[in-house]
Parts: sequence; C-alpha cells; structure tokens
Amino acid sequence: MSSADRAAFSQEKIVLTIAAAMFVAFSLLLDGFFTAGNIVSLVQNVSILGVLGVGMALTIIGRGIDLSMVANMAISVAWVLFLANGGTPLPLAILCGLAFCLTVGLLNGILIAYLEIPAIFATLAMGTAVYGFGQSMLIEGDVIFVPRTEAWFKAIGGSTIMGIPSPVIWFAAIGAAVAALLGFTRPGRFIFGMGDNPLAARITGVPMRPMMVAQYVASSLIAFAAGVFTATLVDSMNTRVAASTLIYDVILVAVIGGIGLSGGKGGVRNVVVGTLLIGTLLNGMTIMDVPYTVQNIVKSLILLVAIVTDSILNPRDEQTSQQGDI
Amino acid sequence: MTALIETRSISKAYRGVPAVNQVSFTLERGEIHALLGENGAGKSTLTKMMAGVVQPTGGELLVDGRAVTYANPAEALRDGIVMVFQETSLVPSMTVAQNLYLGDESFFNRLRGLYIAAQQFLQSLNFNVDPWATVATLGAAKKQMVEIARAVRQNARVIIFDEPTASLTPEEKHHFFALIRRLTARGVSIVFISHALEEALQISDRITILRDGEHVSTDLAANFSRERIIREMVGRDLTGALYSRSRARLPGKPALDVRNLSMGQAVRNNSFTVYSGQVTGVFGLIGSGRTETAKIVAGILKRDFFHGGEVRIGADPVRYRVPRAAILDGVCYVTEDRKLEGFFETMSIAENLQMGELTARSHSGFVLRMAEMQTLADEWRNRLAIRSGDADARVIELSGGNQQKVVIAKSLVQKPSVIIFDEPTRGVDVGAIAEIHALINRLADDGLAVMVISSYLPEILNLSDRILVSQRGRIVEEFSPETATQENIMYAAVH
Repeated sequence: MSSADRAAFSQEKIVLTIAAAMFVAFSLLLDGFFTAGNIVSLVQNVSILGVLGVGMALTIIGRGIDLSMVANMAISVAWVLFLANGGTPLPLAILCGLAFCLTVGLLNGILIAYLEIPAIFATLAMGTAVYGFGQSMLIEGDVIFVPRTEAWFKAIGGSTIMGIPSPVIWFAAIGAAVAALLGFTRPGRFIFGMGDNPLAARITGVPMRPMMVAQYVASSLIAFAAGVFTATLVDSMNTRVAASTLIYDVILVAVIGGIGLSGGKGGVRNVVVGTLLIGTLLNGMTIMDVPYTVQNIVKSLILLVAIVTDSILNPRDEQTSQQGDI
Repeated sequence: MTALIETRSISKAYRGVPAVNQVSFTLERGEIHALLGENGAGKSTLTKMMAGVVQPTGGELLVDGRAVTYANPAEALRDGIVMVFQETSLVPSMTVAQNLYLGDESFFNRLRGLYIAAQQFLQSLNFNVDPWATVATLGAAKKQMVEIARAVRQNARVIIFDEPTASLTPEEKHHFFALIRRLTARGVSIVFISHALEEALQISDRITILRDGEHVSTDLAANFSRERIIREMVGRDLTGALYSRSRARLPGKPALDVRNLSMGQAVRNNSFTVYSGQVTGVFGLIGSGRTETAKIVAGILKRDFFHGGEVRIGADPVRYRVPRAAILDGVCYVTEDRKLEGFFETMSIAENLQMGELTARSHSGFVLRMAEMQTLADEWRNRLAIRSGDADARVIELSGGNQQKVVIAKSLVQKPSVIIFDEPTRGVDVGAIAEIHALINRLADDGLAVMVISSYLPEILNLSDRILVSQRGRIVEEFSPETATQENIMYAAVH
C-alpha cells in the first residue's frame, strides 16, 4: 500500500479521476443520469460485482486468483433454492449451500497450498467441475426461483433501508470488514507478505499453507454471500451465469482499480474505485443505448488506458526497481 | 593521446536525489581500471551512464575525445562499450554458439556454420568453452566467459564488469583474471566494480574510489594499500574494527547438534555441533553444502527421507517441515540472498520488522497494534543504525548494507536462541560490514548460539570462536582461532 501512497498519480487515482470526469460529463450531457433514482440504481447494479471483486482482491493480493467464484456462487445458491423449493426448510437449505461452497473453497485451498497446483489452473478446473457437478447432480433446470413464502430471505437483497438498496449496504459492510481484515489484523499482514514475496514470507515464518486455504475459503464465502444477494434481488438464480463472462468483470474491477496481479499491492479501496468506474460507465452507456457488444469494447479500452497511463506515469524500469543498487 | 572514455563533471540524479555528483573519470586504452566504493557510492550509476543504460542529468561524456550522448546501450555498443551485468544476460536454453551470435543470425541460419565460427572464435580467444554446450548447464565462470566472448565479438573496446567475481570460486577467479589480462593485451580496456579490495589491488592498473556519489581519488594501484582504500571509501579509519579478532568465547551448552545429515548430493553425512554463547564460523566454497545444511536445519529444505540423519535443538531431535516450525522453536536463518527471499520490497522498514514480530513465537493476538509497530521500528533502527529518511522508507530504496540490516533485524525481532547467518555481508559496504560484525559478536556475548556461513576468509577469521570447514557436503575440519590461518583453512576447503 505504501508504494501506491507514494506515487503522485497511482493507477487508483487515475481511475478515480476518469470515473469522476465521466460522472460529471454524463450528468451534464445525459438526461436522466443525475437523478436520485438513477444514481441509486447505478450503485445497486454494480454492488454485487463489487462484493465479488472484494473476494477476488483478497486472493489476488495474496498472489493467487479464484476463477471458480462465479460458478461456486451460482451452483451453491441455486442448490439452496432448489432444496427449499423441494420442501427442505430454508435455514437447513442455506446450511447445505454454505457447506457446499465452503467445501469448494477448502478444496481450492488444498489443491493450491498442499498439492502446489498454480491457483489459476486449480480454480479454473474447480469452477468447471462445480458447474458441471451442480448441473448434473444437484439441480434441475437453469433458472431456479426464490420460494415465495420466505419474506425474511427475500429481504436480504431485495429491501431498502432509508432509500438505500440493501446490496449497496452489504457491499459497504463486506468491503469494510475485508478492509479491516487486510489493514489491521495479523492474517491481513500475512496476505500482503505472501503476495509481496512468497519465499521471504515462508522463511520469515508465515504459516503459508493454512493462510492460503483460509484465503480461498474466504473468497468462497464471499461468493456465496454475493449469490444470496443476487438471488434475493432478482428473485431467482440463473446458473448460466457461471458460463458467462462475469468472472472477467470481477477480475476487471479488481485490476482496474490498481490491484496488481503480481500480488502484495492494493486493497478494498481499489475495488471500490474500480467498481464505481465500471458502474458509471455501464449506466451511462445503457442510457445512451449503446449496444452490449460495444460496451465491452469501451470497458476493455478503459482498462488498457488506465494500465498504460499508470506505466507511463509510474515507470517500472531499472531506475525504480534497482534503487537499492545505485 | 586522448583518453578512451572521459567523463567531465558527470552527474545523475534520481528524482532530485544525486546518485553521481560531478564525477570526472578517465579510462585509458588497454588498462584495467577498478571502481571501488561503498554501496550507494555511485559506482554502478557511473558505469551505466558510460554504457548508455542510464542517461546523465549533467556534465559531459567523451569517447575518443568526442562528446557523446547515448540514448540506449545499443548506441554505446556502436562505439564499442559493453556492460556485463551481475545477472547474466544469456539465454539459458540455447547453446553457447547460439548465444554468441544471438541477434546477428542470417535469415537462413546454418547451424553448422555457426558452430564452426563459434569454435574458431572461442579458440582465437583461448577460451575453453564448448560451443555445443547449453548455457544452462554451464557454471558461473563459463557463463561469464561466454558473456565476455560475446562482448569481444561485438568489437567491444571497453568492457564494464559489475562485480564479476561475486559468484566465482577462488580458482575460477584466477582464471577470470588471466582472461581479462589477455583481453587487455588485445587493446581492450576493462572497468570493473568490486567489493573485494584484494582483487582490485591484485589485478587492476589504476583504481578510482567514489564515496557518496563523489570522486575521492584515482591513482595507480601500486600506490594503494588496503588501509588507504578503506579509509578513502568510508572517509574514516575502520581497519581496527574490521580486522582485529576478539578473544575466543568458551562454548556454552550445545544448542544445535547435527548428526549424519544427508540430502541428495548436496549434503552428505554431515555432522557438527553449534554451542550457545559463541560464534561458530563455517567456511567453504560455493557448492560445498553449507547453505543446504543450514536450510535443512531451519526447515526450509528437507533432508533425505531415508538415512537423512538427525538434527537436535538442545536435546530434542527435530524434523521441521516448514520454516515456521523452526522459528517457533527459536531457530532463525538469515538468508544469503536478501532480494530473493529476504525482505518484502513493497513494504516499509517498519512493516518488514512487523512481519518478523507477527511470526515470532511470543506473538499472540489477532488485531495489530500500530503504535507498537512504530516503537519496534524506531528501536531497531537505532540498535542497528539503519540509515534511512524515516521508518516508512521502503526497503527496496535502501542501500545493500541497510537492506541487510533490516533482514537481520526482522529475524532478531523473533528472539531466536539459534541464529544462522548465511553470507551476512555479501554485497554490503565496508562501513556496514563492521557494524554487522559488531552485532554478531554482541549476539554471541548475549548467549545466543550463532552460526556464520561465509566464503570470505577475513570475515570467518574475524568473527569465529570455532571454525568449521565444509567441503563437498560435509564438515571436514575444525580449527580454533589460534591455530587457523588463511592458508590452512583454504587448504582444508579445497583438498
């Protein structure tokens, strides 16, 4: 974090500036952008993406990545709904789903920490396996609806508190919790240490393997939470989301805000910044009626602009990387 | 006759901080010129400016009396100036011949012709390297020969070496010196940066000393003595602190007992004991299994599963699977390669030390105490005289000596009872060497069992209360400081 703080214009600040500029431009140019209703829906639309981004950030900072998050979220929550629709009491169904998603996280962690499989392959395989297993063994059909009887369950993601939709509040709460974990606790420092220099972390005595397992269990838990918010917000869980490009958007919001894929850099703040940018962009383009395919091009361009600007303003040549040798 | 390279009041500043300040330097044709100075004195930066790797922010660079500005190393190469870095720039998976001609191949590349040309060229230099050998299979010395051959093939008139002998054994060093002598006979000029003062005195024609980015002196090597070099490098007299030996401490209880330890070909049936309250020095050439032995003890590597031998800490046999287990038992290993596995480069000094504290056996609790982190950092910065602007300075920005101090402090924070230093002063400037040696002595006085691994004989002789000599995977000799001389230690290490 200290390195990002030192740079005059870090990627985080560049992205925040782009987001703010875009927000102002949309407010001035687009009818109906700067209205209370639209702002609320803007934030609500991306808050679940943000929650997933926070979980992803946790693994990326520790020099890992969790590509199974979306599949895990879709299948575990769809199974909860499927069980509940089939007559299982909802609390018991939730426990089953929770147990399923935590098992997936645990398996991810064991594959990566103890069998030493690169995180990208382990979680890619796990995501595909979870999707296939869920589709064939656990549930029937693609879209599972939320049971109509349980009002308290629907309130998790479908209510508003003082005009603020609950997913936004959940995003804030989960973001704050993870930020506190990263910044103010021992495991948080260990995650940064492992991401910065795994060899040094090991020699220094960081419990590497338990920490890695804990990371993937945590990202699974966050994925489950995000799934519950999604299902209760839109009254259903579409398992086809596991085969969509959502997982890339999750990585996008983490990386665009300045969390380096090489690990050890960034924090929840970067995810929030990335999420705001993507939210503003998508909302503005939707109002302008830009086709979905073109939206993808714009998203990718913004990511490239942010990364290129960062590498121009904060060069990582031998001047900065070898400062110790001058 | 004009000098081959001349710098006139050349300067380089990084973000306003001068690394080289108005240095004037000349390189004559066919001479070997050593550049000496502490880490951070500006040696690397000065040579990098000559080779076009970095661009000066002030002053003039003249080659053959003509002012030049190099935008990149390729432009310097056109004038025959090549820099050979510490990290080799060869492609490991290619053969020697392919590496020699890399970038110059014709479109239809005939391998046979390439090998014949490479063979003839290497023979003309009298270099004994097989052009068919894959670079990855070569030792450090042979790799260096290939690098030199490549530079010569590119019509280099000036070859700049940055610590060329750091990874060579004494035998290879002699060979290397003979090689560069042969090059100067062909009219090539050599600039070399080194920390080894004896080498500079032995091989170079002239010596230039830099301190804090400024030129101190340039003179014929014959006019220098090691005392004069040290004095001019650090600006104060350190000779006493560096080379006097305190009287030997008596052994306390055995703290670490290694019996018949084995790991593949690297460690073979190794046995020795380290006692608390004294410094046990382990001397050996690179590849003699010293580092591997230490890493097995500290749980970083694993010994053979069958007939792997035994490690006892105090009286208890232990088999650590991870370094954490060793640290919880009070066994710490301070690495020889601080950049690779020593410190956390994006973190500040305080955060690095905090990592040590969080992993210490005494630590409990979940939530961090930020105020304690600051006190801890201030305390250790004072105790080890870590020089930096503040405790928030990132470790990567410090000089080698200060980085090493941070790595040592990170281990000391863990309050070990057995501490193993592996090459504690490699790439560390002379001033910091004295401070680190004083610290190691203090630790032994405080009752810790200290083991120091080094391939630098004066260091071993200066620090050790007992001297063990390692050769081909095992300890072969033990000396007391009274009986040890450079000659008999070296004899034991190579025979």
